[in-house]
Amino acid sequence: MIGEGPEGTFVLTSEPQRLAGLREWLREELTRHKVEQQEQFGLQVAVGEICSNSIKHAYNWLGGKPIHVSVRGTDDRLIIEVRDFGKKFDPQSYQPPDLEAVPEGGIGLHLVRQFVDELSFDVTEEQGTRWTLVKYRPGRTPGARPA
Amino acid sequence: MEIQVTQASEVTVVVPKGDLDTASAAQMKQTLGALLDAGKTRLVVDLGGVAYMDSAGLGQLVNAMKLARKAGGDLRLCALSEETLRVFKTTRLNKEMALYPTRQAAIASWR
Repeated sequence: MIGEGPEGTFVLTSEPQRLAGLREWLREELTRHKVEQQEQFGLQVAVGEICSNSIKHAYNWLGGKPIHVSVRGTDDRLIIEVRDFGKKFDPQSYQPPDLEAVPEGGIGLHLVRQFVDELSFDVTEEQGTRWTLVKYRPGRTPGARPA
Repeated sequence: MEIQVTQASEVTVVVPKGDLDTASAAQMKQTLGALLDAGKTRLVVDLGGVAYMDSAGLGQLVNAMKLARKAGGDLRLCALSEETLRVFKTTRLNKEMALYPTRQAAIASWR
């Protein structure tokens, strides 16, 4: 299962090879939302890292499991949601990388945080984790009233 | 991902083409691991053909760099795009790894 769902939504399955298709769709979606080219790369990395985490940790590399990605835009921000239905994210098990130690792994969420303005997760649903990434439009500061 | 390997005197040049991501990281690990096992510890990875890189791809380069340095060599990078350079900068790896603008400059750095 792979492809576009309702407008602004993409469904991929949990094989790493599916990530390239996600990036292609996301690039088109970000262009549709008038996101500048230089911001698009960072958002592709951020969304790709969240989906990679779902593949590795939520689904433990098991293929064929769904990951839903959606993009919504307002005047002042872009909101991207990534939803998996596997093992819930456990913040207690997350160790931020020690960048002084030249880490080989564990830098995925660090990268996400560098490329978005807000990152949150919700594990209150019966299955899986819903990640929300927010990127403010240029000149719109975090904390301003939503459009 | 297509990965070419060529020899320039005592320097081994690795040229990946495509996205260096979670899907292709294992292939990169295998290629670099085989070179290191064969004693090729003076490595240059030309990233000119890599438009996208994630933490999995980055991790394989760091891992191989550490192994190469332990064996008395190094893994040096060249021809990074502005975008891939951002990934290195956000993890401060641009300070730890040797980056060169061109393949010629990276190869020359061994002389």
